[in-house]
Amino acid sequence: MTEAWGTLKSFAGKTFETLDPEFTDRVSQLIGGQDLTACFQCAKCSAGCPVSDKVNVQIHEVMRMLVLGLPEVLDTDMIWLCTTCYTCQERCPQGIDITDILFGLKNMAFQRNKAPQGYVSSRQQLYDTGKLYQPTDWEREDLGLEEVPHLELDETKKMFEKTGLLKLEEDD
Amino acid sequence: MKPRRCLRRPACSNWRRMTRMAQEYEVFLGCAIPSRFNNYEASMRVIADELDIELLDFDGASCCGTVVLKSIDELSWLSMSGRNIALAEKRGHDIVTPCNGCFGSLKDCDHVLHDNESERKKVNKILSEVGLEYEGEARIRHFVEVLYDLKDEIADRIVNPLDGLKIAFHPGCHLIRPSTVAGFDDPELPRKVDELLELTGARSIPWNLKLRCCGSPLLISSEEVATEILKEKMSNAIESGANCIVTNCPACHTQFDVQVLGLEDEDGNSLELPALFVTQVLGVAMGIDSSKLGFELNRVQLDPIADILGL
Ligand code: SF4
Ligand code: SF4
Repeated sequence: MTEAWGTLKSFAGKTFETLDPEFTDRVSQLIGGQDLTACFQCAKCSAGCPVSDKVNVQIHEVMRMLVLGLPEVLDTDMIWLCTTCYTCQERCPQGIDITDILFGLKNMAFQRNKAPQGYVSSRQQLYDTGKLYQPTDWEREDLGLEEVPHLELDETKKMFEKTGLLKLEEDD
Repeated sequence: MKPRRCLRRPACSNWRRMTRMAQEYEVFLGCAIPSRFNNYEASMRVIADELDIELLDFDGASCCGTVVLKSIDELSWLSMSGRNIALAEKRGHDIVTPCNGCFGSLKDCDHVLHDNESERKKVNKILSEVGLEYEGEARIRHFVEVLYDLKDEIADRIVNPLDGLKIAFHPGCHLIRPSTVAGFDDPELPRKVDELLELTGARSIPWNLKLRCCGSPLLISSEEVATEILKEKMSNAIESGANCIVTNCPACHTQFDVQVLGLEDEDGNSLELPALFVTQVLGVAMGIDSSKLGFELNRVQLDPIADILGL
């Protein structure tokens, strides 16, 4: 088990305030959320997941929390320790788009200020430079590679103004 | 809903005939390759040259956004990836990328925009701000897909057999999963890139954790967990008798050629293995001058396989 992320470390002794059907509904509306309630808890998703033995709450448990309508799911480490490998989604016998649902949950967690710092700084980087990493020019010259094509930053910035990328947090 | 043309195309004989002709793509490099792995780009370009694959500059390319931006805000991700696709589409070109992250991101975006009318409308409204529209005409391919189409030509060009090279091949997740999006190889038993590698006389060895994620997407949230996953993979590759690990993705390669440096198992044995790109293996077997393949930029020492590669 890791301390790396998430405040919900265990179900032992945990009581949940409410079962919120609206939360389940909201998650069902996410890209990939349409078959969410078909989960019959076979746990095949967790069986092939590379972080099952490293998280406090496993992916099949996340799926159950969603059907039960527990927004506390956004406090689990599984949300941000999912590697996005798509093994669970590929194998789910109910055809649930598990990994895609997790992306939607990450979006929700980000809006509630529940995201690792690395994501917050990557957002700024993507807005400011349109890229996650910058080219290493001397290596390129040594290998006879041309400069990477020019990017007009105004364009990406204009789009991000429209999508509100820098103002996702609900308190803003 | 628009039909998913890209899944049907490979079954069409007309399409197959066309792929045999000289091919032309805008090459989407992404940001990881020009930043960390210029050896991958260099080796890709010389192979493309040899095989008459024309790689056009991708003017105006931004980052694809990858799983990072998709995790932060899906609409921003769809707009960023969608803009790249729409640029190539406007110029009437298809896209090729040597990066699993870019391939996954662009294909996934394409998939959503094809199938989901309401998302397509939202994204097209944003793209109209910059004079673009996504219609879904540009095809998105991984460089290894294009190579697989040309495997007979490649077989004819092998002049330096790599006997004794025992490859732990790591396909990486987004090249094959989700298969409904990637549409390239069997998601549970991929073999196409292995076939390419074995044309050189090398052996692609079986190993239990071959399809397991490399852990690299977690470097942003928990380097500790990313490293645990990497250790499991490396131990398994070494136990299985590999003398090198081969990838077709700069993100995975970051784990195998950078993060791995100095890593040891509990007994103090090194977990490093020479890490190569698919294009470097093919290039050396095709007799391309090794200085053009960028081996001096590979971080893990290549000594154990230098003789086999003729370095
Ligand atoms: S594999 Fe699918 S059906 Fe089985 S527990 Fe996981 S989400 Fe539910
Ligand atoms: S996509 Fe995420 S949850 Fe699914 S198997 Fe991979 S790491 Fe686990």
